[in-house]
Amino acid sequence: MLALQTRGLGKTFRVKRKEAGLSGSFRSLWKPNWETKEAVRGIDLTVREGETVAFLGPNGAGKSTTIKMLTGILHPSFGEAEVLGLTPWKERERLAYRIGAVFGQKSQLWYHLPPIDTFELISRIYELQRDEYVRRKDELIERFELGPYLHTPVRKLSLGERMRCEIAASFLHGPRLLFMDEPTIGLDAVVKQRIRELIRERNRVEGTTVFLTSHDAGDVETLCSRAVVIHHGGVLVDEPVERMKREVLSRKIVTLKLTEGADPAALPLIAGTRWETEEEGCRLAVDLKRTTIERVLGELIGRVGFTDVNVEDPPLEEIIKHIYGMKGEAD
Amino acid sequence: MDGESNRWAVAGRKAAAVGRIAFRHQLAYKTDFAMRGFFLLFILFVFIQLWSAAYEGDFSKSISGFTLKQIVWYLVFTEALTLAAPPLCSRIEEEVKNGDVAIRLIRPQSYAGYHFSVFASEALTRFIVHLAIGSAIAWPFVGPPAFGYGWLGLLALSAGALTVTFLLLMLVGLCAFWVEETSGLYFVLQKLQFTIGGMLLPIDLMPEWLQRVCAWLPFQAALYFPARMGVHFDAALLAKQLAIQIGWIVLLALAVSRMYRRGVSKLHVNGG
Repeated sequence: MLALQTRGLGKTFRVKRKEAGLSGSFRSLWKPNWETKEAVRGIDLTVREGETVAFLGPNGAGKSTTIKMLTGILHPSFGEAEVLGLTPWKERERLAYRIGAVFGQKSQLWYHLPPIDTFELISRIYELQRDEYVRRKDELIERFELGPYLHTPVRKLSLGERMRCEIAASFLHGPRLLFMDEPTIGLDAVVKQRIRELIRERNRVEGTTVFLTSHDAGDVETLCSRAVVIHHGGVLVDEPVERMKREVLSRKIVTLKLTEGADPAALPLIAGTRWETEEEGCRLAVDLKRTTIERVLGELIGRVGFTDVNVEDPPLEEIIKHIYGMKGEAD
Repeated sequence: MDGESNRWAVAGRKAAAVGRIAFRHQLAYKTDFAMRGFFLLFILFVFIQLWSAAYEGDFSKSISGFTLKQIVWYLVFTEALTLAAPPLCSRIEEEVKNGDVAIRLIRPQSYAGYHFSVFASEALTRFIVHLAIGSAIAWPFVGPPAFGYGWLGLLALSAGALTVTFLLLMLVGLCAFWVEETSGLYFVLQKLQFTIGGMLLPIDLMPEWLQRVCAWLPFQAALYFPARMGVHFDAALLAKQLAIQIGWIVLLALAVSRMYRRGVSKLHVNGG
């Protein structure tokens, strides 16, 4: 069954253009100059129930606007969409019972009250049966390990603790489809990993469809089975994450913390790699199509003195830029 | 019919749940409460001095049917109602500017219904607190509020008065869906409430022609009706004023509903 389907879904905004300076401000008062900005340009998309989809693109590509149209928050300028059999902007309240949303930069928790109060409110707003609410709440508290701060005012929680509460709150009414807009933004690596595991678990246990936007390649790799990349408001790539990993995520970044006194200029040249020296350490870009991490580390040990080493994915922006390059659309 | 009444019952339960949490949430703003309480004491003290001078300290003198005691208690009631209203316009404006409106719209609850629950919860609490503070200063200066069934009239009309205030504020607040900046409109609305709404002086003291204009506007239903009924109880007038309030509530609610439907289709949610 389909979780969502869009046909030529798009959104335009009217933006007032104003010239710089005082005279520009006065001119804009008498003769405003309006421009139409196309935020989303006719997206065609189909997501099946139970899928985990990464919806990717650079800032301003139209990811958040698309999510807001699919959740019924924004009305589209053109095109059609069906989410769990409903038209989001026409049947917003009915759809709200079936979906959930996490906006990484916005909070649904009441700031001066403990998270348990927001959970209680959600149970009333979504009309959960009392025993069903208690069962789900207890399960989520246990799985998300919320016990220690469930009764602490939200303002006193760390960002990581708050985000775990936000996500647990979004699962409370058992949504069939969860939209997540940058759910791990600003979190440290350990908390990010824990949150990814928990979302993946919900997908596995309850079959919740996940539709996620993120600037973090780790979120995409860990959480999603399919990646959709948009650019200039249209779909550029739609393929399994595994294939994307093979074709595009074929680069790793090895960061070395050199021993004191080591000369970065004397670093060895290794086939399939490229050095990018930075202030805090040395970054080695590794092309996995030409070499392996094992071989690179083997060559480094004994030839370079280092106190720490870190292997990670390149930033998602870099990956997307690479995709644009492959598609001949690089900026 | 059953389905319809069930829908209203569900909406009522949701509104009560939001009202309860909003009540608990506002208790965190103790400094805000204290500041408004202090301002109310100060402004009432100034009004008592001004009106005492106007009446030359004569408690038996009557101006347009109001004695000094009645005018002071009238001001306590209008100030308690005015200061009870939470800053709804700026809240909606902020929600649109920072994109938090998305959190409201993702819920299976009416947007206006959510704001009404929060408004009612906060306004009722503030109204009771302000009445207590206002009484603390008016009582020693002009004596107890012994106006027969006046308290009953005040309370009967205050719920409708706060609802009319909510709807007027909501109309201005919803303009943020188009213009994002509503402070100018709010300024105008507030000044209309202060003057032709009867906050600063009863409409009975205004010129005849202005009284006729006020009769066709909703502002008197939000302040003048309950405050005047509080000091001049009249059972026949109470029924008429309740009916006028209901009329305005229906009319303004329809306007809010229409404006919301149009506004939400134009909405541009900012920020990620």
